[in-house]
Amino acid sequence: MTTTGSFPFARKGTMRLTFGAGIAILAVFGLVPAVAVLVISFTDITGLPGIPIDWIGLRNYLEFFSAAHLGDNLNALRNTVVFAGVSTVVQVVGGLLIAVLLNQRLRGRTLYRAIVFMPTVLGVTVIGLIWSLIFNPSGGPGASVLALFGTHSAFFGDPNLALGLVIFVQIWAGLGISVVIFLAGLQAIPDELYEAAALDGASGWQRLRLVTVPVLAPSITTNVLLGIVNAMQSYQLAYVLTGSANRATQLLSTLIYVQGFGGTGGGVAESQGYAASISIVQFVLVGVVSLIALRILRRREARL
Amino acid sequence: MTATRRRPRHVLGYVLVAVLVFFYVFPLLFLLNTALKSNGQFSTDPVGVVTDPQFGNFVQAWVRGNFGQYILNSVLYTLAAGGIGTFISIVLGFPVARGYIRGARWWNIVFVLVLFLPNALITQFQLLLHLNLYGTQLGYILIMGAGVGVGPLLMSGFITSLPRELDEAATLDGIGYGRFLWSFVLPLARPAIVTVFILQAIWVWNEIILATVLLPDQSESPLTLGLYAFEGTYTNQWGLLAAATLIVATPLIVAYVFLQKYIVNGIAGGLKG
Repeated sequence: MTTTGSFPFARKGTMRLTFGAGIAILAVFGLVPAVAVLVISFTDITGLPGIPIDWIGLRNYLEFFSAAHLGDNLNALRNTVVFAGVSTVVQVVGGLLIAVLLNQRLRGRTLYRAIVFMPTVLGVTVIGLIWSLIFNPSGGPGASVLALFGTHSAFFGDPNLALGLVIFVQIWAGLGISVVIFLAGLQAIPDELYEAAALDGASGWQRLRLVTVPVLAPSITTNVLLGIVNAMQSYQLAYVLTGSANRATQLLSTLIYVQGFGGTGGGVAESQGYAASISIVQFVLVGVVSLIALRILRRREARL
Repeated sequence: MTATRRRPRHVLGYVLVAVLVFFYVFPLLFLLNTALKSNGQFSTDPVGVVTDPQFGNFVQAWVRGNFGQYILNSVLYTLAAGGIGTFISIVLGFPVARGYIRGARWWNIVFVLVLFLPNALITQFQLLLHLNLYGTQLGYILIMGAGVGVGPLLMSGFITSLPRELDEAATLDGIGYGRFLWSFVLPLARPAIVTVFILQAIWVWNEIILATVLLPDQSESPLTLGLYAFEGTYTNQWGLLAAATLIVATPLIVAYVFLQKYIVNGIAGGLKG
């Protein structure tokens, strides 16, 4: 949407100054560090200043896939894919259904929308504490429900359950954004479309499938991409709920933190070059998955 | 669609909404219930409704948690970094959208690429270390400010919807570029600016790992980190923990009630896709 036009203002000085200042901050504190990740992933840099840094070529990457680390890394990779996949799908499908529900002419629907969106504002630490409280193994609502069925669980302490619960909390916290995006899309659908479909005798499900979903295609694309990028890079909830060094919920992003900074606190001399190589692996994974998802979604959009 | 056919569907609608609302409100009510319990009360009956409310939990949590300091820190980080990010988005988005900068097309691509950058935790730490900004509030603010996300893209998208004749009319009145940005673009693009600021503010307000890495001094911790440290210190004193969590959550909920229209509509408008 960019059109090149002649510059109407008298002098270009202010524009150059402000544009330059903006680019400078963005470049120095955002772009350069991001590119530098690739550079230092080929070195043996540590967290301690003053230690000589050597080029070691691809050794960090070979180490990532070496027998000694492969188990842990594949575990983190698998967790990341499961975490991102499940939370994105449920957020998109659930978000769409809730948006359709809240789009009905119900009393106080802006209030309901606001309530679903609230976790985004509360923040991860608050959310983390609330759900640790609810899934408190020594007695909380979660334990009470299980007690009704005569069973109990360690919840976040149970390696088989921890990732599932983190995903659950992530969905609880993230549904609001996807609902809000879908609602904005839904409000752009003219009522006549539904009336026409109703006249043709379409059932509720058919109307959802044949009218709502096609018209919402762009919102679905936005939500899926947002979900993938957010989930692949998010570490906050896993970190707050289960710590950074928990194997059951280890994600690539928490692995970067553990490798680069010791994770348990106090560790400094960690291998940051190696951690940087994990960043790059994660970056490639996010890029590939996003591009594939974008291709599929765009093709669907075109067909509809 | 007659009225009689509508009603049963709406009953179902209200039932589903009630389930949904319960799902989101119950956790907060349970938090409040726990916050009013003493340790003894919690260990004998963790789930039951509180009988003897202990408002002292809030006083204790406030005194021991140093939350006043953390709230101030978080407010500072959020306003400053959100402000810097919004400034960057405006001064980049406007000239690129108008094509006043050479290579505007390429800049738009840069704006998209910004969204997919690799995790730069390690290099941002190294950068601040070498700039002597490690452990300073300024360093953290600059890093967070540069995390503009969709900001420049949203701004340039919105600016294209403002008529170009405006720029020309302003120049005829002898208005310079800087004053035009300040007194025309700023008010006209307010919806987009509010969205950009809020999106970044939410991100900054929630951030915890960069803060852990870049701000080793506890007196500089944002609220996220302060509450997390509090949780580490008072593990299993759930009454106190819940009270602390509520102290943190209440101002957010109050602010949200007043700003919800801007926040939710802003995001809806900005991310429609």
